[in-house]
Order: sequence, then C-alpha cells, then structure tokens
Amino acid sequence: MNATHGSHSVQRFLEKWGVVVAFVLLFAASFWKQGFDFLNAENFRAMLNSNSAVGILAVGMTLVIVSGGIDLSVGSIVVLAAALGTTTMNALIGAEYSELNAVLIGGGVTVLGGLAAGCINGSLIVFGRIAPFIATLGGLAAFRSIALAIAEAGEIRSQSSSYFAVLGRGGIPLAFESANAGETPVYSGLLNSAGKPLTLTYSILIFIAIAIMAQWLLSASRFGRHLVAVGANETAARYAGIAVGWVRLRAYAIMGLLAGLTGLMQSSRMNSVSTSGLGVSNELDAIAAVVIGGTSLRGGFGRVWGTVIGVLILGMITNILTISGVSPYWQGAVKGAVIVLAVLVQRGSRD
Amino acid sequence: MEHPLSAISDHGSAPGIPRVLLGAERVTVDYPGVRALDGVSIDFRAGEIHAIVGENGAGKSTLMKVLSGALRPTAGSLRRDGRPTVFNKPADAMRAGIAMVHQELHLVPTLDVAENVCLGREPTRLFAVAVDRVRQRARARELLTMLGSDLDLSRAAGTLSIADAQFVEIAKCLASNARVLIFDEPTAVLGEREAARLLALLRRLRDEGRAILFISHHLDEIVEVADRVSVLRDGKLVQTFARSLDGLLCDAAGVGVNESRIATAMVGRELGSIYPAKGSALSTEPMLELVGFGARGRSRAISLAVKPGEIVGIAGLVGSGRTETAEAIIGLRSREGSVRVAGREVAFANPRAAMFAGVAYVSEDRKGRGLHTSLSSITNMTLPSLDTHARLAGLRIDSAGERAVTARWIGEFAIRCARPALPISSLSGGNQQKFALARWLETAPKVLIIDEPTRGVDVGAKGEIYRIIAQLASKGLACVVVSSDLPELIGLAHRVAVMREGRMVGELSREKLAAKDCEERIVRLASGLSEVTQEGAAA
Repeated sequence: MNATHGSHSVQRFLEKWGVVVAFVLLFAASFWKQGFDFLNAENFRAMLNSNSAVGILAVGMTLVIVSGGIDLSVGSIVVLAAALGTTTMNALIGAEYSELNAVLIGGGVTVLGGLAAGCINGSLIVFGRIAPFIATLGGLAAFRSIALAIAEAGEIRSQSSSYFAVLGRGGIPLAFESANAGETPVYSGLLNSAGKPLTLTYSILIFIAIAIMAQWLLSASRFGRHLVAVGANETAARYAGIAVGWVRLRAYAIMGLLAGLTGLMQSSRMNSVSTSGLGVSNELDAIAAVVIGGTSLRGGFGRVWGTVIGVLILGMITNILTISGVSPYWQGAVKGAVIVLAVLVQRGSRD
Repeated sequence: MEHPLSAISDHGSAPGIPRVLLGAERVTVDYPGVRALDGVSIDFRAGEIHAIVGENGAGKSTLMKVLSGALRPTAGSLRRDGRPTVFNKPADAMRAGIAMVHQELHLVPTLDVAENVCLGREPTRLFAVAVDRVRQRARARELLTMLGSDLDLSRAAGTLSIADAQFVEIAKCLASNARVLIFDEPTAVLGEREAARLLALLRRLRDEGRAILFISHHLDEIVEVADRVSVLRDGKLVQTFARSLDGLLCDAAGVGVNESRIATAMVGRELGSIYPAKGSALSTEPMLELVGFGARGRSRAISLAVKPGEIVGIAGLVGSGRTETAEAIIGLRSREGSVRVAGREVAFANPRAAMFAGVAYVSEDRKGRGLHTSLSSITNMTLPSLDTHARLAGLRIDSAGERAVTARWIGEFAIRCARPALPISSLSGGNQQKFALARWLETAPKVLIIDEPTRGVDVGAKGEIYRIIAQLASKGLACVVVSSDLPELIGLAHRVAVMREGRMVGELSREKLAAKDCEERIVRLASGLSEVTQEGAAA
C-alpha cells in the first residue's frame, strides 16, 4: 500500500510541477552539452528574443483555452494585422505624412486590426454559436487569404527608414560606456561576441510584461475567475449569474489584440511583411506551449507561468538541437515527443 | 477453496440460508487523514434486497467503490461466491458479475436504446466484423420486457426521460449477466410514480435470484422493499435489521423497526420532528407574482403569488414542467405571460438580470448546474456575489473578504468544511447543498426559488436545510420550493401548488396540508386521477 501511495504522490507532484522539472532537466542537459557557453547571456537573449512573438500568442492562448475554447486563427491574424498596418503606414508615408505619424498610425491599425479579428472570432462563437474550433478554423483560412490578396501573395516592404524598426530591433543596452578611450570605447556590463553592448530587446520586455499582466488577470481578477468558471462548466456559470457570452467574447478579443501586437513586433523586426511566411503555424506552437505548461485543454484550469516555461522549453530544445548540429528536419520529431510526454505526465487524477 | 454454501442453488427457493454472492470481510479504507471505512464485514445474498443506509460521509459511497472495483481497500478482503477475490479495476468486478447502476447514467445519448443496452457486448456476424442488428434488437427487447418496459428500441438515448434511461441502464447491466446489482440512490431523480415502478423492478430482480444492493435516503422506500438493512455510521457498520418471517423489519432482538428507528441508528441520537414550525406571510402584497406564465413549450397558464415570509411548494411528477417554469422565470428559457417582482413587471434576459432584481434560483442539478464541482468551496461560495469582492474595477479580488464571507456562512449553516480552498466536490452532498443555498443568500435576494432542496442530502442535513429555509422566510424572504419529496413539501410549505403536464392543476391551502389525506390528494392531482380546479382545491 505504501508503494502505491508513494507512486501516487510522485504522480501528483509531476502533475503540478512536471513542467518545472522538465525545464530544469533541459537546462542541465544544455549545460552538460555546452558548458558555460550555454550560460552565455547573448545565447540566452537570442533564444528569448526569437521566442517572444510566439510567447505572447501562447499567453493569450492560455486565456482562451482556460475559457474552454481554442483559437486556431492567431497566426493568420498576425499576418493580416501586420499587412493592414504596414500598408496603411506606407500609404501615409506616400501621402507626405511625417514618418513618425505614419508609423504610429500604422502601428495602431495593426494592433486594432488584430483586436477586430479577435472580436469577429468571438462574435461568431458567442452570437453565431459556432464551435470555437470551427469558427477559428475559418479564420485561419480567411484572415491569411485577405493578407495574401492585399499583397498579391508577395512581401510588403516598409517605407519607413528609421522609426518603424525601433520596436522590433531596439532595446535597452545592458552595458554602458565606462570610459571613452578614443577610437575604442570601453564598456562595463553585458557584451555580445562583437564586443558591443548587449541589448534587452523591447520584444522580450513586452513578452515579460504581458505574461505578468495575464497571470495577474487569470489568478487575481474578476475576469480571470469568470474565465475559469466558464471553462470549468459553462452551464453552471450561466446559472451562477455570469455573463458567459461576454466573458468568452473578451477572451477572443484579448487574443486578437495580442496577435495584432505580435504582428506589429514581427513586421517591425523584419521591416517588412511576408504574407505567405509570417505567422505560419504559430497557432500550433502557441497551443503546444500552453499544453506543455500544464493548462488543461478541457478548460477550467490554467496557469500563464506554466505557459511561459513551455515557451522556454520549446525554445531551448531548438537551441540545444541546433547547437548540437542536429538536422532541423529532426527537430519537429523531438518537439512532438516532448509535447506528448508533457501531456502524459500531467494528465494524472484530473480525469 | 470451495465455500460450504456455494453448493446451494441461488434460486430463491433453496432451503436454509441463501447463497452469499458477494462478501466483504473487515474492509478498511483510509484516505489521507480520514478513515472512511473501518473494519466493515457485510455480505450480499442471492434473492435479497440489502439496503445500506447512513448519513452522507458515513462510508456508503466508499463501500460501493470497494465492491464495484473502483477502489482497493487499505485492509480486508472481498469474497465472490465464497472465494477470496481482488478487484483492481471496475472491469474486474463487472467480469465477476457485479454491476453498478450509477446515479449519473452512463448512456451514449446519440445511440439508440438497443445499441445502448448491448454496448460493449454487441452480437456480431460476418466473422465478428459486423454488428448483428437483428439479434441486438431481440436481445434488448428480451431484457427490457423482463424489466416490464416496452420502450421503443429505436429511440436515441438522449431523448429518454430519466426514468426510462434508468431502465435502459439496468437492462445494460443485465446484458452483462450481472448477478449482483448495486443501485446508488436510484429513486433520487424520480417522481413518486416512477419510483414505485423502480421498486417493483427491484423486487422482480430479487425474485430471480439476484443480489440487490440498494442505497437510498428515502427511508420509507427502504422499509418497504429491503430484506435487510445495514446502517453505517462514521465508517463502521453499527446495526443490521432483517425482515422476519412475518414480513416485518426487525432488529436483532426481534423488535419491529420503523423509519424513525432507522434514522436514529443512522444519526446515533434521537431526532425530533425535522420540520420547523410554519410562519405566515408578512405582507399582503405579493413579492413574486406569475400571471398566465409559462415556459414556452413546457408549461402555460400558471398563476401564482408568493408573499414575503411565505413558503410556497410546487409539487408534480418529474417532467410536469416545474423546473422549466422556474428556469423561465430567471431567463434561462423563453417564456410567455408575465412575471412581477414587488409589483413591477419584469422580463429577465438571464440569471444575472434576475439576480440584480433580487430573484435567486438554486438548481436541482447540483453537480451539473448548481455548483462548479472542480472549483474550491470559496470560489463556489462567492461566484454569484463576486462583484462585492471586486476592487480596482475588477482587476483585483479581495481574497481575504472572500475567505471571511465563506467562514461566516460555514458558521451560520454549520457546514462541515475544514478546508474551503479544496474543490467543493470533496464535501458531502448536504454540505454542498448548504453552500449552493448560501451563495445565493449572499446576493441578498427577495425571492428564492429552490429546486429539490434536499436531493441527495442525508437526514441530519435535511433538517438543518428546512430550518434555514423557514428562518429565511420568517425574515421576509418569499420562498418557492419545488420538490418531488411530498413529506418535505407538506412539512415545510405554507401552501402547495400541484403541476401536471405543464399546467397548474390545483393548490392545497394550509388547512388542507394539515389534513391527513393531503399526501394522497397531491398524488391524485399530480397523476391526473382527480381533476380539481384551483378554486375547487382551495375551497
């Protein structure tokens, strides 16, 4: 009996903390493989930076999944919002607006475009009573199609020469010039391999800020409580006097807003929008991170911090496989195995 | 090792002691911190209805889980047909001929009756590739006929009434050749007439030599059908009553026992009347008034007025439209006619709007609609009134305030809940029901509609819930109590309205409720045996 009790409590532990254990193991494996190279701040920043876009989507996806839904259209919202915003910006620059104004308006259009797409999803689901999977499957096809039509399947290059790229490429330098010794400045702080100051990019900062806000929203706010109640049992939530439709609509609206923001960050980083490439299969990466993080796909339970670790795990796997020289073709197999393993470990007694 | 008794035929007429089909010996189950079962030895014999009674938390469900293979005991053993046996999973018990008819029915709603009956053991043809539909239907028909049911085999299970679905579920158990059938509160979801039909069925199954394990909170049913009654209290088997040769239920000393004696054994102390004294209306102006009201397609032409301080009961068979009418009042269904609250015409779009107007509804379906079973007691408690705990425009919830409110109601209603942060499903039915009630009282309602206030609640907690309702009424709340439990309505309500097939067919005044024949009157009205107009009944 003791043995079964023991294995039971191990299972309970893994159910809750499995994602942290996996993260630590992966961290150790990376360290073992690369030694102190892995702990290199530049390597770390690169990993965080390249995953912050999917990370923001995954955070939004956590809220949607907790509410008992799913959003398959996020990657398409990213590209549609970016296409709309960049096109608007280019038109304004062409119409002799000041570049700063054009960039600000274009950025606003991108974010609000995402919000609008999220509201369409939410309305179809709430008022049209279409299953979230189906409604957003429609969005997955339709939103990208509109983006492709706008650019005739090509690339939309930004006409902004300076301001637009700031959000995606800029950041806060982590080193400052301590002494000016003529030609070669001397820095103190974190430097990159070229000896220049390492920057903490705005992308990373935005990802962190949004994750913190979303975790707060989910665990401490009234909206978060309602999301959990709706996801756990929609009927019981309606009987308890919760405005179920409004709660669900807001989840998809927030998801759309975050997808718009991601679109803005991505187009700014590239200084262009590839309508056939941007955001492709982002929705699957986001869902994978949420699942690895321990959020129940059935709804009613979730945690943003788990999702953040899920994003880092996926990022580290890519990182370690790339550095070890594993063919990129094999990386999908490893990721797939990790996703399935995560669900196996965490399913536990909630069934 | 052959059991000495196993040679005896298990068909009722065998001489001597009937064969023991399933036995438990000194079974103990420990949960972290709690001993749920404590050395219980009990046996179930062929051709016998063995009732297990006890308050919620006495260990009935744990015992059933052990017997049906869902739980392995910490200590002790099981014997099947006299041989020691171990059930690692429910499938093991099923293979040994032990089937459980769950409170929540496990039918596939999209499959038809015949397919559900034969689910998992379909007769096949073409080298076991195709389902032999002809034989499947024949087998289902045979089993249902045996149960005395002539259900249409092609109906989808999802369209069946609860009572009919239960018959299909039982037929499904018989299809697996079950010899021991465990019924977990089978009558809790049934009206009077359906319940009587089910009890007759239990007798029939017993007479065929099956062992029937029957769990019910309705002690009158137990006195009526049980051949033996085992009483559990705090995980221990405290007393067993058996039917004597002259058909009376007796204790070990041969003294006949009645319902109140069984209740005393369950609670371990004498119970007074569980119904509080009836108060009276505090005003002549009705708080809730229905005029020609109805839930579209389910009920119509219902007129009812409930004054502050009044408790009005609504009786009727399951399916008579009681719940639907209540749901239409709070905006969960489309409606016709009008509703007035405190003299004001209202038309609620949803329960939220009803809540703001001071109308609260406590659902009959505690697990599916009334509560969020996976969420904590605190979360459940404060869900309808969450706005009062919201700070910073809802960005923050005052969790200290939530805990305080929960603790206050735990004290007020004497709820047994040591850790309110755990899922509410860890509480007994009675304690869950008190929370289901308390969460709505926290919204300060003027009208409270309670549907089946004591379904799945034990005797002790029942009395407390009645006391709470009476107390609320005495403070000016207008209460509507919908119930299938007639003694409950008669004992608690000031007036009782009776519904049948979506119409209100009569109303029994306070004087009529005090009369001896009132229960019979209600049954006659509800089942259409006597046609009485509202005026006629009140006269």
